Amino acid sequence: MKIYNRYIIITALLLLLTTVILIAAGQTSLNVYYITYIVEALAITELFVHLNKKARQGLNLVSAILFGGFLFIVSLEAIKLLT
Amino acid sequence: MPINKNPYTWAGLGLLIAGGLVALFAHFILSLTWLTALGICMIILSAILLALSRTIPKLPPEVCSLLLDTGIDNMATIVEELGIKAKAVYLPSSLTNGPPKALIPLHANPALPPLTKALPQRFIARYGTRPDDIGLLFSTIGSTAVALLESRPDSTAEALELALTSLLAGTLDAADSTTVTYLENHHIRVEILNPRIGNNATRYQECLGGPLASIVASVAAEAWDKPVTITQEEHQGERYTIELEVTE
Repeated sequence: MKIYNRYIIITALLLLLTTVILIAAGQTSLNVYYITYIVEALAITELFVHLNKKARQGLNLVSAILFGGFLFIVSLEAIKLLT
Repeated sequence: MPINKNPYTWAGLGLLIAGGLVALFAHFILSLTWLTALGICMIILSAILLALSRTIPKLPPEVCSLLLDTGIDNMATIVEELGIKAKAVYLPSSLTNGPPKALIPLHANPALPPLTKALPQRFIARYGTRPDDIGLLFSTIGSTAVALLESRPDSTAEALELALTSLLAGTLDAADSTTVTYLENHHIRVEILNPRIGNNATRYQECLGGPLASIVASVAAEAWDKPVTITQEEHQGERYTIELEVTE
């Protein structure tokens, strides 16, 4: 399953690299970390268009859950700004 | 949902538990944002691994290889025992009344007569009006592989390339990518990068082509909805080149 391994390795490396960069930049907001991870994970998933149908279905479910988390954080921030 | 226990499942579960513990411990006890973020990162990766673990076939690759070798051996025995020298013609599903198949003429006729109607669903099939127009109708690896395509590709080089890359690189993981060029005189050249299926120089392979060529020819026959013949196969380094001829 070489394509799966490539996908996982690229995602893991990118997420770790992002963590290192955000730590180096002195980022202290957990929301920023989470939103960056989600955007990256969704972008990589979209780039791997040749993954088989079943794998895409599974990853779409994961993407939907992550996107739900993203919307939750955005709504919390919006509520914070409004109140 | 049935859990398919493979290395992806175990790695996913391991990362989920470790990531959850790290995130909770870092957030509520240590109050370290970066460590909490690392825990979340592990949870995201675990979700991806668990999603992918469901798609790994339960049959080990070694068993699949045994089944493939057995099937090829049986077909090779038939081809060699009958002393067939003619090249196989890959027929689309519209000419076989079922999945695409390979027709091997028993006699090396100068040219295949135009096929106007679907051949009968038999192993030994008559495809023309001449007495010699009898051939063997084989189901090949390509016949089964075509069923894995989401839709029938259009009869263009771009659509064929997309279908083959999706099939060989995505679904079957048998190569890294493909490039398709439409040449003159109804010839198509397909280049496969980093193929992971071997090729043996047997009479059977001379007749039907290698497994990858068989898949490519079946998909091309289905795309053009016309019989397709493998005219050339070449393996050089990381590139595997197949040339096909679409019969008009």
